[in-house]
Amino acid sequence: MRTHIHIRTGCTAVLLALIFGALCFSVFAADSSPHVTLNVSKASPRQVEALTQNAILRDYKFAWASMGVALQTNSLSSVNGLFVGEAGAHLSAEVKNQQQNDVSSRYRNQSHKLEAVFYSPEGDIVELHDTAEYDFEILASSKSIHSEHAVVHYIVLMTPGADRWVVRHLQAVPQF
Amino acid sequence: MKRTLPIVVVIVAVTVVLMFLGLTSVGRSGGTVGINSGGALPGFSSDTSTPEKALNNFLLDIQKRNWGQAFASTERTSDAINEQSFIQDWVGSSGGLRSFSALERFDTRPLHATDSEAQMRVRLHWTTPVGPVEDVRDFRMTHRNDGWKVIWNETPRPNVPAQIVPVNYLRWDLVTGNGGDEWGSHNVDAPHVRIVSMNAVDSAEGVVIMGEVVNEDTVPAFVNVNAILLDANGGTIDDESSFDKILHVLLPKQVSPYRVDFPHIGLNKVKNVRMDVKATLVPASSDPVIGVMNQKLETDAQGHPVLHGELMNESGETVNIPHVIASFYDNSGKVVWVSDGYVEKALLPQSTETFAVEIPQSLAGKVQNFHVVVNQYSLEKS
Amino acid sequence: MLILLGSIAMAQDAALHIPSGLVAGNAARIGTNGGGSATFYLVGPGVSIKRDVELGKEISVAAKDLQAAGRYVAVICSGNCTSQVFFVAPGKPVDLSFIVHPSRAPVAENDAISGVALTFDEFRNLVLVPSTLQFQWSAKGSSPMSRSSQTREGIAWFRTNSGKTAGPLQISAAIGNDVTTRRVVQQVASIPCNLRIKGQRTAKGILVETEPIRDCSGNPVPDGTVVTFTARGGDHTSSVDAPVKQDIARATILASGPVTISAASGVAMGNELRLGGME
Repeated sequence: MRTHIHIRTGCTAVLLALIFGALCFSVFAADSSPHVTLNVSKASPRQVEALTQNAILRDYKFAWASMGVALQTNSLSSVNGLFVGEAGAHLSAEVKNQQQNDVSSRYRNQSHKLEAVFYSPEGDIVELHDTAEYDFEILASSKSIHSEHAVVHYIVLMTPGADRWVVRHLQAVPQF
Repeated sequence: MKRTLPIVVVIVAVTVVLMFLGLTSVGRSGGTVGINSGGALPGFSSDTSTPEKALNNFLLDIQKRNWGQAFASTERTSDAINEQSFIQDWVGSSGGLRSFSALERFDTRPLHATDSEAQMRVRLHWTTPVGPVEDVRDFRMTHRNDGWKVIWNETPRPNVPAQIVPVNYLRWDLVTGNGGDEWGSHNVDAPHVRIVSMNAVDSAEGVVIMGEVVNEDTVPAFVNVNAILLDANGGTIDDESSFDKILHVLLPKQVSPYRVDFPHIGLNKVKNVRMDVKATLVPASSDPVIGVMNQKLETDAQGHPVLHGELMNESGETVNIPHVIASFYDNSGKVVWVSDGYVEKALLPQSTETFAVEIPQSLAGKVQNFHVVVNQYSLEKS
Repeated sequence: MLILLGSIAMAQDAALHIPSGLVAGNAARIGTNGGGSATFYLVGPGVSIKRDVELGKEISVAAKDLQAAGRYVAVICSGNCTSQVFFVAPGKPVDLSFIVHPSRAPVAENDAISGVALTFDEFRNLVLVPSTLQFQWSAKGSSPMSRSSQTREGIAWFRTNSGKTAGPLQISAAIGNDVTTRRVVQQVASIPCNLRIKGQRTAKGILVETEPIRDCSGNPVPDGTVVTFTARGGDHTSSVDAPVKQDIARATILASGPVTISAASGVAMGNELRLGGME
């Protein structure tokens, strides 16, 4: 009888823990995963293929999520070759300098509206307009020194890598 | 209840020991009625009173590389046959596939026997770097005073006369460049390779995707073909590569068959197939040139349909491990099967070696035409 | 030169005065109000600075810290923190990235060659102000062709047919007279045309060879191109994949009896040759 009660209590506790964990995961996942949409109607001279659209969406989302983690933790381990060229160099320098100054940045609740404005004839370069909206915070020694809800316009260049599209250029502009 | 458990434990333990002994016994194969397995129980006798026993002992000596004993138990049909050539016939030479192989086990079966002579069929199971290889050989036996002997009539290969063979075919080298990472400055495109045909069939082992691929470029390409099976919802069922069932290095305008196997999957589950060919630049040489001569569809000694032929090395370089890939077409030119097989002996310069690749019995009647390409591995180039 | 837009004040009392019209690679002096000491932070693309400063004095930001065009946040903390967002614009176009495809193009094909050029300033910032680019291409023995194009969002592109003669095609992209980038496309022979073979029996077998192999524009196919010779006779077939050497492919085929020999290269087929049996 005692064993029976203990088993019921244990199962209930495990079930509650699982439910709680799932809730935490979903909240955390929703917070850290950027929301990205892509409009290719204006892309020229080449039409963006359906598979390419899916790949760009997936890889751009992954790039921003990784960049957010990198600038928050001041570690490039999450980036994994997603940024090359000038974008890669800027990100590396920013992480290094933040680390030296005990500064970190947070990009939360990200939403990116992408519009393809150029897709090369050979399909090896895509230029995107990104209207990005996010909560941006700068922390110095873990203390918040700047916080804003920002809408930022980016000019983005992406090129195909070995197995994914990579961000080659990410340049903020006042407007498109 | 209390007594049953120890009895069960003892029975299980004895079974496990017997299984272990069975698995580790040398030369033993799965038993089939009428076929002697290559037994290697410790302390076997040198009894040659029957053709089966004599052949068994002979093959065990071969397996253990007791060359002297094995050679002594044969009856030679020619003075040209010596122990050296006998050993070479079994262990291979010139870096051929046999040189890296070991006789794992064998199955013998009598074909016919009289008091003085017998014919035995042996299925030899070799362990090789390219996987298990089976070889079927017929041995003639003769009875002498002291027992049965294996008749050995494998004459040594004729020597290729010394000669100068000019090598002036084109070579390609790949230079990666030492410039900085300037975007667009290192633009050397991957070779342009195209899949020209694709056919999906059901086989006894599963789904098979096969066809042909051509290098349309002017530079050599290292090629791999991948196939993804999709279900009705567009979800991926499986994803496989051609592995070695393709001529990986394609010279300009060269055509190769390819075959992608999906074991244990039925074609009825497949709604769509997505093909992907990956081609990269690679250093290559046009040499050696290998001709495929006297190709003929036949039935082998076991009644299996095979494509039989001879490889002729028209160059001055030894091809250590030739690999034959054959595509078979029906009367409309569609690829209905792709077979491959490794040739165990090295292909010496200006020499020939035979090959045979099997076709499934169900397809043999449909085959109207075929094309053979030869993959080759040379130790000098590794 | 792009004119900077106004900065955005993030606090009610703007303690930072950001100058307007900031251009990449130029130093800046940021004004401050008040007195006492404070900590200055600057976060931007590739940049994170932290420095102790005196309020009421100008803060010098070095040129190297403003090399990247983009969005910056300047923060001053003295007890409380106030911040300003501002943009740095790219400089003049002085650099080009020029990507041309393919590196090898078959001759006489429409729209076979394309190129994309991107304009950058000295610090590899994409210059978005429209610029006029001149694309020019020329092959040996032919007069150069050119096309003018205006950049949009920093990009200009062109597409052209490949020429009829095999050989290198020199392509350049230029802004004015000072900024030029060059690339080379190899125009290569197309698929073999009129593949013809001849053969004869010799002591070693049937020696079969092609006539000089050219494409339909008359360009010899490159050495190393594979020609497959196939000989069929009775119930036997023999084949050899032979590479072209100095425009001709040759092979020796072992076959007795009457045979029909054919040749193919890629997807191009040649004539058939019938030879009688050995005497």
